[in-house]
Amino acid sequence: MQSNAALEYDYSVAKLFTYATILFGILGMSVGVLIAAQLAFPELNYLFGEYGTFSRLRPVHTNTVIFGFMISGIWATYYYLSQRVLKVSMAESKFLMFIGKLHFWLYFVGALAAVVSLLLGISASKEYAEFEWPIDIVIVLVWVLWGISMFGLIGIRREKSLYISMWYFIATFLGVAMLYLFNNMEVPTYFVSGGIGSIMNSVSMYSGTNDALVQWWYGHNAVAFVFTVPIIAMNYYFLPKESGQAIYSYKLSLLSFWGLMFVYLWAGSHHLIYSTVPDWMQTMGSIFSVILILPSWGSAINMLLTMKGEWNQLTENPIIKLLVLGSTFYMLSTIEGPIQSIKSVNAIAHFTDWIPGHVHDGVLGWVGFMTFAGLLHMAPRMFKREIHSKKLIELQFWLQTTGIVLYFTAMWIAGITQGMMWRAVDEYGNLMYSFIDTVAALHPYWVIRTLAGVLYLSGVFIFAYNMIKTMTSSKELAQEPKNQSPMAA
Amino acid sequence: MFHWLEKNPFFFAVGVFLVIAFAGVIEILPSFAEASRPVVGLKPYTVLELAGKNIYKNENCITCHSQLIRPFKSETDRYGQVSLSGEYAYDRPFLWGSRRIGPDLHRVGNYRSTDWHENHMMDPKSVVPQSIMPAYPYMFTKMADIDTAYAEALTVKKVFATPYDAPNGTKLGTLEESRAAALEEAKVIAADMKNKEVKDAVARGEIPQIVALIAYLNRLK
Amino acid sequence: MINLVEVQGYARIIMTIVLVIILYGYILHLYRSEKKGERDYEKYGKIALDDDITSTPVEKNPNLHQKKEGEK
Ligand code: HEC
Repeated sequence: MQSNAALEYDYSVAKLFTYATILFGILGMSVGVLIAAQLAFPELNYLFGEYGTFSRLRPVHTNTVIFGFMISGIWATYYYLSQRVLKVSMAESKFLMFIGKLHFWLYFVGALAAVVSLLLGISASKEYAEFEWPIDIVIVLVWVLWGISMFGLIGIRREKSLYISMWYFIATFLGVAMLYLFNNMEVPTYFVSGGIGSIMNSVSMYSGTNDALVQWWYGHNAVAFVFTVPIIAMNYYFLPKESGQAIYSYKLSLLSFWGLMFVYLWAGSHHLIYSTVPDWMQTMGSIFSVILILPSWGSAINMLLTMKGEWNQLTENPIIKLLVLGSTFYMLSTIEGPIQSIKSVNAIAHFTDWIPGHVHDGVLGWVGFMTFAGLLHMAPRMFKREIHSKKLIELQFWLQTTGIVLYFTAMWIAGITQGMMWRAVDEYGNLMYSFIDTVAALHPYWVIRTLAGVLYLSGVFIFAYNMIKTMTSSKELAQEPKNQSPMAA
Repeated sequence: MFHWLEKNPFFFAVGVFLVIAFAGVIEILPSFAEASRPVVGLKPYTVLELAGKNIYKNENCITCHSQLIRPFKSETDRYGQVSLSGEYAYDRPFLWGSRRIGPDLHRVGNYRSTDWHENHMMDPKSVVPQSIMPAYPYMFTKMADIDTAYAEALTVKKVFATPYDAPNGTKLGTLEESRAAALEEAKVIAADMKNKEVKDAVARGEIPQIVALIAYLNRLK
Repeated sequence: MINLVEVQGYARIIMTIVLVIILYGYILHLYRSEKKGERDYEKYGKIALDDDITSTPVEKNPNLHQKKEGEK
């Protein structure tokens, strides 16, 4: 140990990804608010000519928040906490430092190019896999770099056992790699045809129903491996560390890990209920989605019980508040999902606003809160300054919580209303509503949803301001805080 | 065994991978062969239709429109016959969508016509006053990418053995031949349209995006 | 010709049962080895709490000072 006296964890890559998280968060969510508003007020489609229509911007929104905000959030926290739980600094290996930096810059440039390509109307029209093949290749390279970086660090670790968070990060790495590769198998038409037409165009390796199968296998599980698995990794580190309480049951965390791995990938076919895939497969999809509640709740309950005897921290520490409420939203959306995949519920819910509603109580509540909390926890340690303002975190928390509640209630009502109107028949068995009636009926809910988005987005701006202030002008800390993050009132 | 896995990150990773991969294999692979057979009489897209389909794809119309009629009376009454797996055999990518902000379009060709689409794409509110669909006026001036569509048809013919140039099927031929064929098809559609710019362009031998898109929408039956 | 979809059904059901057995086996393993005093899983929780670079690892990585084994 003696020789390591001056050694410190190196957060330079974690910091870069932190900046990217904030940048993409603001970008992606602003576009989200804009497209929400476009449904309520269609005139807003024409703000930026052909680049501003709902159909161009919706993939920009989803991809910026998933591959911009979320993935950089994952990597920011990964580069921070992996060093700590492995007890090895990146500074100990020049090679890993280089890979880490390369990882960031390639990612950043790739992400910007991706956004531009979508705005230009270059899209493969497979949801969350819209990028055309050149960008897919960049993404694969970035992913490989992460793999080298992660397994390299694991190779020189001092701590023999991998902490549970590392398990989840490894699973994220493997899961996304597999899903992304298989779903994006495509043949560039330019090369096969001998140089005719656009170089960007490609055709999917799979056609029709098969393509749908692969796509929703991807779509569902990418949500698992981007929005669930790494977030659990964060929570298993940040909640214990911030509260000073060890995980309630480490064994339960191991168990729910394997439970999640076994079950999650089976549930994908619930996206295909009442489609042309065989009946029994749809049923199995539903059943496994219901079983999925168990491992998800295993993790969530474990997190909540970690606070046992320390619930007073919930009122005292807004970061704990974010973490605990995030876990609660996780429980909510993991029970809502299985309910939606029950066949008779799905018959009404599919194609309606209830589905984006479900997605958003997961991503805004669980993913968003965890990421904000993680970055806030990291800030005093990375920048060696106390957090600029506790009040602002409180304000952010309440604005965003109100936003989320408004959002999902509006979407529930909108979804069920529309689902019911589509199928409503009069006494003679004729459809009661024309399609446009069912659109017009949603207007008030879409206005509420927009408002909810504005609330959440203002929270994000407050967060960004708080972070920037923390980085630049907050009081400096002489010593790294042990548990609770220091913050000025 | 479990203990050993916990200590060996490499084999741990292999274990995780096997667990997550096999689900995919069992779930997806076997149904592949079944689902990809086209229904009887289904012809591959013509180059013009394919160009239209690519516009649909690149503009992400799927963000608002599904192409999947589910087996409920309320849906078949509204949109027509239930969708069959084999009808999508030539759709790469599939365009089912996941959200119906607008109506399903899988059989829109049965009840909407060229001139209806023309007015609607130019200004949806002029046809359906409460519509929230964006207008796409730029499709009337931008030209469709026929060459890319040809490249795509050639690719699926070569790589996936899509039956172009089969007897009674869709003819593909050389690039020049398909350009000419696409123009012939475009002329038929433009004849039903009013927009002067579009008519002029087609007369000049160019094909605006809207013409290709309508060719595709008309084919959805 | 055997129906592929049927094969798929069987494969799926068999694999599910296998997985359930493994998962339950794991639960047993966890609790048994802790009862027998072979291992203490809960101590790993400390990895997160005591994570300064100078802290003593809960379990030292033996590979670090020896020649690297191909387990990276
Ligand atoms: C913001 C969501 C939205 C987007 C994006 C969108 N549409 Fe629509 N679309 C609607 C709505 C709502 C309706 C129903 C009202 C109407 O007819 O205008 C509709 C109706 C239609 C109809 C008439 C269907 C019928 O049965 O009456 C067609 C055809 C159509 N859209 C084609 C397209 C195409 C092609 C695109 C892509 C370039 C597109 N739409 C993009 C929302 C959208």
